[in-house]
Amino acid sequence: MEIYLGVDVGSVTTKLAALDENEGLVGSLYLRTQGKPIVMVQQGMRDIAECLPAGAVVRGVGTTGSARYLAGVLVGADVVKNEITAHAVGATHYVPDVQTIFEIGGQDSKIIILRQGVVVDFAMNTVCAAGTGSFLDQQASRLSMKIEDFGRQALESQMPVRIAGRCTVFAESDMIHKQQMGHRTEDILYGLCEALVRNYLNNIGLGKEILPPVVFQGGVAFNPGIVRAFEDTLKTKLIVPPYHEVMGAIGAALLAKEEIESHRRETQFRGFGISDMSFHTSSFECKACANICEIAQIMGDGKVVARWGGRCDMWERTSASVEQQA
Amino acid sequence: MTTVGIPQALLYYQYYPMWKTFFQHLGAQVVTSPPTTRGTVTSGSARVVAETCLPVKVFCGHVISLVGKCDYVFVPSIRSIERDAYNCSKFLGLPDVVKAVVPECPPLLDPDIDISKEGKRGFYLAIYALARRFTWNPLKVKEAAEAAWQCHMRFQSQTREEGITLSCALSRMEDGMPSDEEGVNPSSATIALIGHPYVLYDEYINHRFLQRLRQLGAQVVTPEMAQIQELDRGVTRLIGKPYWTYEDEVTGAGGHYLDSQVDGVIAIIAFGCGPDSVMIDVVKRYAQRVSKPFMAITIDEHTAEAGLVTRLEAFMDMLRRRQGWEGKA
Repeated sequence: MEIYLGVDVGSVTTKLAALDENEGLVGSLYLRTQGKPIVMVQQGMRDIAECLPAGAVVRGVGTTGSARYLAGVLVGADVVKNEITAHAVGATHYVPDVQTIFEIGGQDSKIIILRQGVVVDFAMNTVCAAGTGSFLDQQASRLSMKIEDFGRQALESQMPVRIAGRCTVFAESDMIHKQQMGHRTEDILYGLCEALVRNYLNNIGLGKEILPPVVFQGGVAFNPGIVRAFEDTLKTKLIVPPYHEVMGAIGAALLAKEEIESHRRETQFRGFGISDMSFHTSSFECKACANICEIAQIMGDGKVVARWGGRCDMWERTSASVEQQA
Repeated sequence: MTTVGIPQALLYYQYYPMWKTFFQHLGAQVVTSPPTTRGTVTSGSARVVAETCLPVKVFCGHVISLVGKCDYVFVPSIRSIERDAYNCSKFLGLPDVVKAVVPECPPLLDPDIDISKEGKRGFYLAIYALARRFTWNPLKVKEAAEAAWQCHMRFQSQTREEGITLSCALSRMEDGMPSDEEGVNPSSATIALIGHPYVLYDEYINHRFLQRLRQLGAQVVTPEMAQIQELDRGVTRLIGKPYWTYEDEVTGAGGHYLDSQVDGVIAIIAFGCGPDSVMIDVVKRYAQRVSKPFMAITIDEHTAEAGLVTRLEAFMDMLRRRQGWEGKA
């Protein structure tokens, strides 16, 4: 069996997906990044290798997510793609006629507008993380509730309270105030769902033509409270596709397949052995000019694998030449 | 010899050759602050209130770096350069801001330029008053001003006729060196980059945006490459009469390029810029009307490179896939 792997390393979670040669999902993983992207990629590779049937050969691998370059050098990616393209490719695979994609992840949210299968417009949240998964996580733990129960409880609301969703700091103080006034928890929870949806549609959805079918994906799509709030506001049914939480990884795998097939080349995949390699990261300040950039350095088994973080490409060049010598 | 310091920020990018020629003809020596670095931004933003926009913070940082290196610092207050169009209040009050937050600064040369209120006569008087510090001979002032104007015209025509950026024309005038952007490779897409020169050409604050765009295979056109009439028509089409002084760089260029053959338009704006927030919205609405790909990137001092790169890559991917689709249709 031929396998194409997709790795999506986001701020909060790391997702892996393995597709077979017919683009069917063979296995997927959804892990918490826990601030340790390298360790999670290694662990993810170990776990996904176990899901694969015997005799499976990896033909290509793609990475995406905010740590896509890091993940790319770790696994030896054939394509390193931004999240927008990866999510769009993933969603069109399951819902070919999709016209709008809502994607809400741990720290960012996106809206992607497609027409006839092609991305024509998109937006990502800019300076503010209000209304993303991390905030919901944080509020759930403040109410000592599991995030998995959040949405279910929100659905029991009869009389949602109004919460300011523009800013997480204000939303939180608003929620505490409503609690202290004696409002029911489920009403506050659903009020929060509505606030986040309002914030999403007023910020990144501003001026976008939201046409059905609307696909909702990313970790937050697990939350039925948010799904209902979207449907109530937009008066449209949302499609939450299967494997919505690993859609970016699926997209990355599909892009890897496309890359390998269109160029008829061999994969650069380093093999599942990377799980047992020891990777070290360190950083230093470059003093070559007044910018004093922080350069991050990734070492794999004692060799420099990558360096980046500079305002110029001085260290990126050096790491390339180091690799050639090695 | 008297030394005049010119901060390499804000209007430097469009007027430096003119200013330099003027002061040199008056017998002064001109020094500029070095390009923006992390130090410039940090020192500038430590002095001003947090709400100030990034370009003004950067400007203050450049003034600080000129302390001790010159006898005067040139900080004009450019209120208006045409009738009934006004500059942002932060430009109007620039000399006062500098005096307040950089008390150790050498004396300022701070002419008030207000064509809308004072007309041409007021403009000439302001120039004579400025030149008083160097000479009492009105003929010498006239000669310096004319040379400066000639130089400015040459500078402007270079960008328009040869299709090069302001920063390229600047480095050509300064070092006589053609910069590496000339002779670009045949590209997959043409992108119009719109915004104020102090945002487009300050490579530190925009994270080498132009260079990244070219690396992704784009041919880049910018506001100063368009003809003045084209920019004026752009403004007229979008809003009628310009309200802001540098409206042509945003609304004008936006209107012009959205109606041209370019594949997409990207605007870079500074976080906290009042005029831009209005102008960009006008351009965005027009982009939707003519359904041309458009993206606005907002930058501030905390902007991480990752978000910017992701948006840029996604935008280029979108164009590429869209071209493939339109090609098939």
